[in-house]
Amino acid sequence: MEKKKIIEFKGIRKVFPGVVALKGFDLVMYEKEILGLVGENGAGKSTLMKIMTGNYQPDGGQFLLRGEPVVFGGSMEAIEHGIGMVFQEGSILPNLTVTENLFLCHEKEFSKGWFISESAMVAEARKALEENGLDINPTTLCGDLSPAQRQMVEITRLLWLSRLYRHENPVLILDEPTTVLLEKEIKTLFEILNRIKEHATVVLISHRLEEIIENSDRIVVLKDGDYVTEMPREEADIFKIEQLMVGRDMVEGYYRRNEQVDPIDTVVLEVRDLAIESILEPISFTLHKCEILALVGLIGSGKEELVKCLGGSMQATHGSIYRNGKRISIKQPKHAIAHAIGYIPIDRRIEGLATDLDIADNINMLVYKKLKSRGFINKRKEQDNATHWMGVVKVKATSHRMKCGNLSGGNQQKVVLGKWLSADAEILIVDHPTRGIDVGAKDEIYHHIRQLAKQGKSMIIMCDTLEEDIGLCNRMLILKDGKKVNEVSCPPEAKPAPTDIIESIV
Amino acid sequence: MKTKNSRSLENLSTLRSKVSASAVGKLYHSIPISGQIISLGIVALIFSLGTNGQFLHVSNIMTVLGLSAIPMILCLAVHQVIILGAMDLSLEGIVAITAVSAGLLLKNSVTGNDVGLWIIPIVMLIGGLAGLVNGLLNTKLRMPSFISTLGMSWTLFGVAIMISKGSSIPLRDLRFQKVIISEFLGIPTVFILAILLGLVLYIMQNKTKLGKHMYAIGGNEILAKQAGVKVDRIKISIFGLTGMIYGLAGLLLVARLNSSAARYGNNLLFPAMTAVAVGGVSLSGGVGGALNAVIGTIIVVALNNGLVLMQINPYMQSAVNGIVLISAVALTIDRNKIGIIK
Amino acid sequence: MHKDGIGKQPAIKQIRGKLAGLPAISYALGMLVLFIVIFAVGSATFLTRYNMLTIGNSAAILLAVAMGQVFAILTGGIDLSVGGIMSLVSVVLMKTLEPLGFWAYPLSLAVGIAAGFLNGLINSRFRIPSFITTLGSNGIFMSIAYMISIKPLSAPSSSFGVLDIVNGTTLGIRNIMLLGVIIFVLFFVIQRYTITGRNIMLLGSNEKMSWLSGVDIFKVRTIAFTLSGFGAALAGVMLASNLYSGYPTLGTVYILNSIASVVIGGTAMTGGAGGVLNTLVGVMVMSVINNGMNIIGIDVYAQQSFLGVLVIIAVAISFDRSKLSVIK
Repeated sequence: MEKKKIIEFKGIRKVFPGVVALKGFDLVMYEKEILGLVGENGAGKSTLMKIMTGNYQPDGGQFLLRGEPVVFGGSMEAIEHGIGMVFQEGSILPNLTVTENLFLCHEKEFSKGWFISESAMVAEARKALEENGLDINPTTLCGDLSPAQRQMVEITRLLWLSRLYRHENPVLILDEPTTVLLEKEIKTLFEILNRIKEHATVVLISHRLEEIIENSDRIVVLKDGDYVTEMPREEADIFKIEQLMVGRDMVEGYYRRNEQVDPIDTVVLEVRDLAIESILEPISFTLHKCEILALVGLIGSGKEELVKCLGGSMQATHGSIYRNGKRISIKQPKHAIAHAIGYIPIDRRIEGLATDLDIADNINMLVYKKLKSRGFINKRKEQDNATHWMGVVKVKATSHRMKCGNLSGGNQQKVVLGKWLSADAEILIVDHPTRGIDVGAKDEIYHHIRQLAKQGKSMIIMCDTLEEDIGLCNRMLILKDGKKVNEVSCPPEAKPAPTDIIESIV
Repeated sequence: MKTKNSRSLENLSTLRSKVSASAVGKLYHSIPISGQIISLGIVALIFSLGTNGQFLHVSNIMTVLGLSAIPMILCLAVHQVIILGAMDLSLEGIVAITAVSAGLLLKNSVTGNDVGLWIIPIVMLIGGLAGLVNGLLNTKLRMPSFISTLGMSWTLFGVAIMISKGSSIPLRDLRFQKVIISEFLGIPTVFILAILLGLVLYIMQNKTKLGKHMYAIGGNEILAKQAGVKVDRIKISIFGLTGMIYGLAGLLLVARLNSSAARYGNNLLFPAMTAVAVGGVSLSGGVGGALNAVIGTIIVVALNNGLVLMQINPYMQSAVNGIVLISAVALTIDRNKIGIIK
Repeated sequence: MHKDGIGKQPAIKQIRGKLAGLPAISYALGMLVLFIVIFAVGSATFLTRYNMLTIGNSAAILLAVAMGQVFAILTGGIDLSVGGIMSLVSVVLMKTLEPLGFWAYPLSLAVGIAAGFLNGLINSRFRIPSFITTLGSNGIFMSIAYMISIKPLSAPSSSFGVLDIVNGTTLGIRNIMLLGVIIFVLFFVIQRYTITGRNIMLLGSNEKMSWLSGVDIFKVRTIAFTLSGFGAALAGVMLASNLYSGYPTLGTVYILNSIASVVIGGTAMTGGAGGVLNTLVGVMVMSVINNGMNIIGIDVYAQQSFLGVLVIIAVAISFDRSKLSVIK
C-alpha cells in the first residue's frame, strides 16, 4: 500500500556562523510509520528537528507539511499543526499533577467562565491515558512519577493536542527516549509506539542502533549535515549503519600523526575496579607518561562519568585510583587539582572560564600562591605569568586584559589549556578538545596536544569523531554500556580503521 | 557529591520512605498541611504547659485569631509571589502608602475628604498599581524581583512620609474601627475576613487558569513558557493582585488604630516572610498555597503570643522569629532545584 | 548559545549599546559630578570646607559598612543584617568601655566579625539564601543588643580619651577620615591582592567553574560574610564613638544605605563584577546626595524615596541580563 507523505524536506539548508548544519538535502517522512533517524553528534539531526518544531527557520530549501510549505514561529505553533517533540530531559512540570500537565494552557476546554471543572479534566485525562494503554493515576504529582511515566504523559499530551487541533496524522518526535528507561519500560514504550503508529508518524532519534533497527519501519542516516541513505528495517544492519555514520577519509598527516610520540613505561595513573552504581561497571586501566589515551564509546557507555570521577566532579562508588603508585582519593575537583590532574571541559564557556573576567584572571586562577610576593599578589608576576602562557598556547588577543567572553572558541580553549599548564598539570583530561572550534584553530590544538605529550604530560581524551580519537591517541579504550569491552593500540604507522573499532562500540 | 552528610541524609530518606509507606504515613500524606498542623499542636502543647493552660483559654485563642488577621492577609498576599518563584519585599512600602492614603482620604482631622466606603476600592487600586510596577520592573525591565521590590519599598515609604508630613493622622470616620473591633459569633470579624480572603485565593489557585499557570511558572519558568504559558502576563497579574491585598491590609491597620501613619508599614515584612516559610511555602517556588499561608501565620502568631504570655523578654521576640525563619527555610528549601544558593 | 527567545529591551539596549564601552564605574562618577554640581549651584554652603568635612565624616562610616556589604554582594548574595551588627557592636562598645578601656574596641570588632561569620556559616552550611539568613539574623543581633541594654547606652566620661581614636585629630586631619582611608585601602587590598579576594570574584562570576577549579566555595562564602560583618563592625564602632552612645537601632538605616552605595557604584547584584573601588564612588555619591539634600532642605524621607528610585535605575541599567535565562 502506498504510504502518503506527511512531511517533506526539499534541499533543506541551515547555516550557522562557521558551520553548515544542513547542507541542502531531501528527506521524506510518511504517515503511519516509525522512522529511525541516526547520525553522530553534529550530523544535523537536532537541527532538522528544530526546523520541524519551529525553533529554527531554514536558510534554504523547503519544509512541507501535508504538501503545503509551512513556517512555524515556535513550538506552540508546531504543536497546533500536529508536530510535537519529546525531549530527553522532558518538559513535564514536576510540581503539577498529571492532569494539569496534560492540559496546561488548554484549560478552557474544561471551564465555565473563570472556573475549571477539575472532575471533567480528570475524567478526560483518564480517558487519554487509557487510550494509550497507560496505568497512571491522573491526580498524581508528576514529580512522583518515574521518568518512563513522565515520558508517557508527555506523549499523551502531544497526541491529545493533535486531536484537539484535529490533525489526522500527528508527528511525534522522540529524542533519545530510552536513555533513562529500564528494560521493561523500554518494551512498554515500543509497544505503545507501535500502537500509536496506526494513526501517527513517530520519528525516533537514538544512538542505540539495535533499538532503532528493531523498532523502526525505516531508517535514515545523516552525516555531517547531509543525507547519506535510508533503508527499510529488513535491510538494516548495525555494522553497515555505523560505517555510514562515521566513514570518512583518513587524510595522511591529519591529526599531526607524524608528531605522535611513544609513551614511556612509567605509570602515572592507575584505575582499579573503579565503578559508579548503575552507570559504570568496575573498570581498570593504566595511563603512562607521554601517553594519549582515548576513551571511545556511545552516549551511555559511561565514559563521561568516568572522566568526571577522575576530575573530581563526580564520585565513584567503588574502586580506587593510584597516582604514581600511591593510592589517592578524589572526592572534589580540588583533590584532583592537588594531584596535578586537570580537566578541560566540553563546554568551556560555562565550565572552563569566567567569561566576565579577563584572560589574566583566568590563566592565573589556579596559581595565585605562586604569584605572591611579601604576602600579596604581585601585579607584575600576574602579568608575566599570563603573557607567558598566552605565548605558549598562542592565544590571539590584544592584551592579557581582554575579557574572555569576547574571545573566539579556539582562543577560549587555549586560555583554558593555559590555565592548566600554568598550574603544572601533569595529567590532562580533555573533553572534546575541538568542539565548536574552526578548522584552522583545530590544527593548532592538535599541535599543542602533541607538544604536551612530548614534554611529558599524559592525556585522556574524548573526541567529537572516531577519526579524531584514532588519529590522536596512542591507545584507545572502548566502552559500551558501562563496561570496558576492548583496548586497541593506535601507533602512528598502523592506525586502525574506524570500521574495525565500530564493531566493538555497537 | 557524596559526603558524610549526604550519606546520613540517605539513611534519613530511607527511614522516611518506610514511615511513608505505613498506614500512619499514608494518613499524614493525604492531608495537605499535616506537618504544619502537628507543629501547631506542638506549639500549643508547649505553651499551654508553660502558661498553666492559660494559652488554650477560649479568650486567648480568640485573641490569637484576632492578632493573626492582618499578618495573615499580608502572608496571603506575598505567598503568591513566592509561589511564582519571585520575591516581594515591597510589602512595607505599599502598606505605608495605602495606609497614609486611607488616612487622608477618609474623614479625618487634617483634610476635608470623606470618601467613606469608596476607600476600599481606592486602596486596592493604589496597592494594585504599585504591585503592577513591581511586575513590570520584573518582567519588562528584567530586574531581579528582590532588589526591584526592595527599591520600591524604600521609594513608597518615602512618598508616604512626605504625603503625611511624617506625622500620624487621626481618623474621624469611625465606622471602620467598629467593624474591626467587632466579633461575629464570638470570633473576631477581621479573622473571618482573612479566612474569606484565604478561601478566595484557594479557589483561584486550584480552580482557575491563573492559578494553575502560576504554579507552572513556579515549577519551571522556561518549561512553562515553552508550553505556552503567558509568563509575563501572569507575573504582572500576581504582583498586582498582591499589591491590592497589601492595600486592604493597610486599610485594616488604619481602621484598627483609628489613625494612619507611614510607620504602620514597619516590621511587617519579617513576620510575613516567617509565616510563609513556616507554613511550608517553598522559596524555590511552585509549592504551597493559601492553606499554608493561613496555618503558617497562625503558628507564628501563636508562637509570639505564647512568648508574651510566658513573659519572656519582649526583645527576645526578634531573635526567636529570626531563628524560626531560618529553620523553617532550611527545612523546606528544595535543594535539588536551587543548584546555586546565593 | 544564542539569544533566541531571551527577553529583549530595545530602547534600553540602544542606550546601553552606545555607552557599552564604558565600565560601570563611569556612570557612578558621572552621577557624582552631576550631583556635586547640582548642590553647589543650589546652595552657597555646599562647597564650604566645613561642609566637606561633614561629608567626609559621614562618608567614612558609610564606607566602612559598604566595604563589607560589597563582599557579600560580590559572591552574589546580600547582607541585610549589617544594621543589626552595627547596632550590636555599638552597644557592646559602650558597655565595655568602662571596664576594658581601649580593649573595648577589639572586643566589639570581634563581636561583629563573629556575627558575620555566623551569617556565612548558616548560608553555606545549610544552603539558605543569604537574604533569608541575614533577614533572620538581623533580628537575632538586634535582640541581643536589646538584651544587653534596652535603653541607649552612653559613653562614660572616663572613656572620652579612648574614643578620641575616632574623634580626635592627627596632624590636623580628623581621625575618622584617616580611618576611612585605611579601611578603604585594607578592603581594596583584600579584593585585589589576596587569593581570597580573587576567589570571591571567581565565585561570583561563575560558581560552577570556580568549584571545578578547586575553589572551596564553603570557605570563600563564609569569609565574604565575615568580611561583611567586619565592615559593619568598623562602622558601628566609628558611629558609636562619634555619637558617644550605642543603641539597638543605631544601624538600621545603614542597611539600605550600604546596599544602595554598592549598587549605585556599579557592582553587579549577581556578583563577579565591580567591587571596592566602585563602592567608594557609590559611597561618595550617597554621601553627597545625603548632605546636599539636607542643605537644600529636602526632608529625610524624600531622600529615602529618591534613593529607592536611584537604586532601581542603577540596577535596571547595570544588571547583566545575558547571564541569566530566567529572571526571578
